[in-house]
Amino acid sequence: MKKQIYLLASVALMMGSAFAFVQSLDWKIAEGYAVKFEAGDPSGEFSGLKGIIKFDEKNLAASQFSVTIEVASINTGNGMKNTHAKSANWFDAEKYPTIAFTSSAISKTATGFEAKGTLEMHGVKKEIVLPFTFSNSTFSANMEVNRMDFNIDDGKHPKMSPTIKVSITVPVTK
Amino acid sequence: MAGILAALAANIYNQIYFFATEIDYSNIINWGSLLSLNLIISLLAGLLYWLLTTLFKSRGAIVFNFVYSVGSFACVIIPIAITLPLTTPNPELFPGLTVPMVFFPVIAWMTIDPLFKKN
Repeated sequence: MKKQIYLLASVALMMGSAFAFVQSLDWKIAEGYAVKFEAGDPSGEFSGLKGIIKFDEKNLAASQFSVTIEVASINTGNGMKNTHAKSANWFDAEKYPTIAFTSSAISKTATGFEAKGTLEMHGVKKEIVLPFTFSNSTFSANMEVNRMDFNIDDGKHPKMSPTIKVSITVPVTK
Repeated sequence: MAGILAALAANIYNQIYFFATEIDYSNIINWGSLLSLNLIISLLAGLLYWLLTTLFKSRGAIVFNFVYSVGSFACVIIPIAITLPLTTPNPELFPGLTVPMVFFPVIAWMTIDPLFKKN
């Protein structure tokens, strides 16, 4: 009888730990996240970050990011520039309301991690590699995006840098 | 005097705008900033008035009114073009608060100017 109880308990423990393992991959985006961009003038940030974050540094094969940002949430600190950025000349927020990133593979690097995946912006999909770190329940990433790759240009601002620096900080909770 | 009057009008307008939109721009627009800005503008206007009346005598006041009005109108671009801190909510509504305020010093000046004229 004792043997059967031990067997049952160990099976329950194994099942419980397996369930806990599956659960531990999921993270929720917490308040205080920042998706900032810098191109000299304009610079600013996006809010409206949503999506699924599955991450465990010990189980990268099962980890995955599928996140979106609302284009209409752009804030450059200037109302006129915000309106202009959302217009058909730039992001065309009405036609392309979100910027999406979906990872296909996450791997470890010397400095942290990198997520290979598809960035969809302004109706253009492009394979990118997003280097990031994860510490104290916060994801941090810095990358450069060439807006010309996504046809984001009205042809009237030749002095504006084609490369935009993007810095992302996303605190997460279980 | 014109500076104090303009600052008072700007503060009343600021309160009305906050009541209407419930958007708080007090980190940029507040009693202190409005009073100091209106006083500085009015002092500079006084200096310009003295300079122009010295240069053009009786026509100086006419030239001054023209320069002050056109200058105020040109300054409308400042609140429209300004980049606010990213923590400031609804930057789209900021010009609605500040563009009218640009004209307050010149309006205040022209309102009280006749009181200081010698017959």
